[in-house]
Amino acid sequence: MLDKIKSISDSVKKIISEADGSGVLNDMRVKYLGKNGEITALLKNLKNCSPEEKPFIGKHINILREQVEKLLAEREKTLAEIELNKKIESEKIDVTLSLNYPKKGGLHPLTLARNELVDAFVGMGFEVKEGPEIELDFYNFQQLNIPKDHPSRDAQDTFYINDNILLRTQTSAVQARTMESEKPPIRIVCPGKVYRLDDDATHSPMFQQIEGLVVDKNINLCDLKGTLDEFARKFFGEDTKTRFRPSYFPFTEPSVELDVSCFMCHGKGCRLCKGTGWIEVLGAGVVNPVVLKNCGIDPEIYSGFAFGIGIERCAMLKYGIPDMRILFENDIRFLSQYK
Amino acid sequence: MKVPYSWLKEFVDIDITPAELGDKLVSVGFEIEEVIEMRDSIKNVVAGKILSVEKHPDSDHLLVCSVDVGTGKVQIVTGAQNVKTGDVVPVALDGAVLPDGKKINSGALRGVKSEGMMCSGGELALTESDYPGAGVYGILILDAKTQPGTDINEVIGNTETVLDVAITANRPDCNSILGIAREVAAVTGKKLRMPNLSYTVSDYKTKDFISVENRNFELCPRYMAGAVTEVTECESPKIIRDRLKAVGIRPINNLVDVTNYVLTEIGQPMHAFDLKNLAGGKIVVRNAAEGEKITALDGKEYSLKVSQLAICDAEKPVAIAGVMGGMYASIGNDTETVILESARFARDSIRHTSRELNLRSDSSARYEKGIDFYSQELGLKRALSLFSEYGWGKIAEGFIDANMGCTSEKTLVYDYKAVNSIIGIDVEKERIIRILNNLELSTTAEGDVLTTFVPDYREDIEGVNDIAEEVVRFYGYDELAPRLISTKRGGKSPEQLRFDKLKNMLVGYGAYETVSYSFISPKAFDMLLMKENDPLRKAVEISNPLGADFSIMRTTLSYSMLKIINTNYKRGNKEGRFFEIANVYLPESLPLEKLPEEKQHIVIAFYGENEGFYKLKGVLEDISETFALNFEFKREEISYLHPGRTASVYSDGKKIGYVGEVHPLVQDTFEIDKRIYLAELDADYIFEKGIDIKPYKAFSKYQAVERDLALLAPIDEEAAKILGVISSAAGNILEKMEIFDVYVGGQVPKGKKSVAVKLLFRLHDGTLTDSEINARIEKILEALKSENVFLR
Repeated sequence: MLDKIKSISDSVKKIISEADGSGVLNDMRVKYLGKNGEITALLKNLKNCSPEEKPFIGKHINILREQVEKLLAEREKTLAEIELNKKIESEKIDVTLSLNYPKKGGLHPLTLARNELVDAFVGMGFEVKEGPEIELDFYNFQQLNIPKDHPSRDAQDTFYINDNILLRTQTSAVQARTMESEKPPIRIVCPGKVYRLDDDATHSPMFQQIEGLVVDKNINLCDLKGTLDEFARKFFGEDTKTRFRPSYFPFTEPSVELDVSCFMCHGKGCRLCKGTGWIEVLGAGVVNPVVLKNCGIDPEIYSGFAFGIGIERCAMLKYGIPDMRILFENDIRFLSQYK
Repeated sequence: MKVPYSWLKEFVDIDITPAELGDKLVSVGFEIEEVIEMRDSIKNVVAGKILSVEKHPDSDHLLVCSVDVGTGKVQIVTGAQNVKTGDVVPVALDGAVLPDGKKINSGALRGVKSEGMMCSGGELALTESDYPGAGVYGILILDAKTQPGTDINEVIGNTETVLDVAITANRPDCNSILGIAREVAAVTGKKLRMPNLSYTVSDYKTKDFISVENRNFELCPRYMAGAVTEVTECESPKIIRDRLKAVGIRPINNLVDVTNYVLTEIGQPMHAFDLKNLAGGKIVVRNAAEGEKITALDGKEYSLKVSQLAICDAEKPVAIAGVMGGMYASIGNDTETVILESARFARDSIRHTSRELNLRSDSSARYEKGIDFYSQELGLKRALSLFSEYGWGKIAEGFIDANMGCTSEKTLVYDYKAVNSIIGIDVEKERIIRILNNLELSTTAEGDVLTTFVPDYREDIEGVNDIAEEVVRFYGYDELAPRLISTKRGGKSPEQLRFDKLKNMLVGYGAYETVSYSFISPKAFDMLLMKENDPLRKAVEISNPLGADFSIMRTTLSYSMLKIINTNYKRGNKEGRFFEIANVYLPESLPLEKLPEEKQHIVIAFYGENEGFYKLKGVLEDISETFALNFEFKREEISYLHPGRTASVYSDGKKIGYVGEVHPLVQDTFEIDKRIYLAELDADYIFEKGIDIKPYKAFSKYQAVERDLALLAPIDEEAAKILGVISSAAGNILEKMEIFDVYVGGQVPKGKKSVAVKLLFRLHDGTLTDSEINARIEKILEALKSENVFLR
């Protein structure tokens, strides 16, 4: 019996370690440990042994059985690993390959700029108002202290439908409409399309502006400066400096232009700011009392400020777009750069 | 406005550089567009002393000179014969640039090296009166004392610096050297010096030569005239010619130059008539007779309208008021007596006339900006003083002044605190008074109340806001203390938020937003195959468009979108998804009497190999679900869409747009070889009716039962119909249904199609039994029979 045990013990290790599939391993299990298996047979034969030999041989048969079970389990695990590795290996893909899976589109850079500009003012408590693009001369000009034949009409060549109806040249027209229909306090921004007879690398016959208007008691130039400083820091960066330069608009008095420190060179002077260190971004001023009066607001009680920002200019500055016409070509290779 | 530095210095002492002055002007509201150095017109030309002159070995006409140019000796070959050893001449060295833009390089003449060129007076744009000898034929011989190597600009005095200053529309008075000088004086704290206005008069009296009859004070509030007898026509002195050149005006002769000089210096346009050609010795300011003709100084004949103002003699127009003089009474070399006009014309009138005649001049440009009452007399006196100073004629005594006695001088009385309440900081009363006085806005105080006298040339100052601007301009905007306004509830309206939401949704579908012009070509409607009576053809027309292709305000976005796809396709972008939300403009009637309705539309387009009708329709269905709008799709035709592949979109019974494949003919018109799927919807409807938060719906925790039905339906039976029948027959236990396959051909009888429907049944309060479901399926199949739909 001991010889038999030894011979099984000697051969089983090799046989199991060479088993190359879970099927073979099952056969092994049957062969050794099954009802009619070799080790089971040994145990059955144990009764033929002498009582002195029995415990000793029995112990060896048990050791053999445990050995076989252990070998089977180990081999099983090894085979599973080999199997998994094979599967993994066979499933290798080229991870550098790009296939054409759906991608999100994008908002137009003008919308991105407009959203950012509007959000900056919404955060300061401004309401968003809109108005018609085909507008009455009355709202676009006359109510804003620009009577017919005012020389400043020359500066913004207007598309006319007829003598009284035109394509608005400035979102300021919404100012006049709002002041007519609402009582102070007023705090609005009006984004929208405006039109001027102009077409070159820095002018488009259609472009977008954001007009801002605040009317309340005791509003002055310092309020305007405070509001625009906040805006400039939010839109152009925390370290942005601002300066007011005197200017002229018929509907504000005093009128100013706002320059921001150049965000490319931080004021040292570069190509973007034409060496001045400053970039002109918007026009603003204290609402001309004549305009308040025209729109039915008592200038003795109320005052206000207004500003107008060109969205194209802001977008071009912020995204480094060199030619305004690119904005309106809508080439997907351009649009897909701004996701 | 071009401002030569030396001219400015005549009226105000300036002890800072042009760049520093530029900064100061910017700080008070005058943008510097450019700083022009006149010396940039002549580069690398120096004085050179000729050391030797030899004959060219190979030519009889050429001389070879050795020239000391300060930095060393150069050899120059010249064809000029007027040079000799010891002469000092202008030498254009290698790389030099001459006033006409010509570049000079080293080279060889007949095999002999020449390291530049000696210049004549003409080549340096000089005349005899600019520099003695400049008029002779040959090389300009300079003053022998000139140091070799000296920049020629120094030698000939071409060293002017010109500031190009932008003038805002409220400051017409600053379109003059004097006006700018007044601002410079205020900003630098110096005193303004007025130009010389003195002259000696002869025994003649102006009124003995000429009378003026002003028949239209509205268009010509003031007409002044003076007379100069025994005039001599000659070249103006160098200083006048240099200054005119520096501001971009070509010097002609003293009589013309003097008017341009005064226009630039004082800002008053002047005109000179030859007295002998003024019939009746009379000037009549009147409206032209309709069709009245005049040949202007540009040599063209103009036919005038009754609305246009003419300056006439006793018989005929002799000038188009403020725009251009006439040929007939113009001055010439036989002129003996000059009548000088110095008038104020209404700017609108000049503007209209100039536009209507398509005729512009320095004078009309100046009048259009507005002339004040102050300048007529000043301009006239200044012109006469120049005649007197240079001895160009004898000044007759007195002026004609045909005016309506008006002035725009005013006195403002206000509390100085009102100024500060506009500015927002406390500027001391004394400081305010000082700033205003520096600006020659003479101001006095009585307690807190200030009284400011506003002279004629400051018509822009009307009230305390204008005073506040003057104060803060000079006090400094940098002194403002930024203040934040109190908080207030702001934000976007629900409609505006839905606008953002819809855009973001489409971006999620891979679409790019476009922005296109609101004006389109009137050809658009034909290109979209619209019928003659299509209501969308009723479009607002721009009276002065950029061009015919941009002349009408769009009534549909589809045309613009197809143009965008055309551009992209032509540029090799073979597929893409786009959308745009923009206004369409729908007039109630034409011609426009009231503002048209402006409605926001959304257009969505997919094009390319992998796109299909159902992909785009699926997006619309998702929009419907997102905004809870219950879109229904009904087969309908749209002229520019494929008749078999177009559906109108309804919501609550209202038609809000359509979706379809672009008509093959339209696809051809726009030269796009790929199929295009297009939808255009009323976006305002979505924004107004859209629901943001839908009521909570409980969902069942019980098991669902799925059943598939393979149906045989008539080939034209619409999916919507089949699903409608199923839905009403199945009742509320049907949670979901979808058609997952439609098949025609093969095993399916002719005229029929196979439709596979997946149904999902579920109860809220229990589990469905098989028999319950079977009963319901029976009911569904029974109902479908009415539509000729049967189980396969």
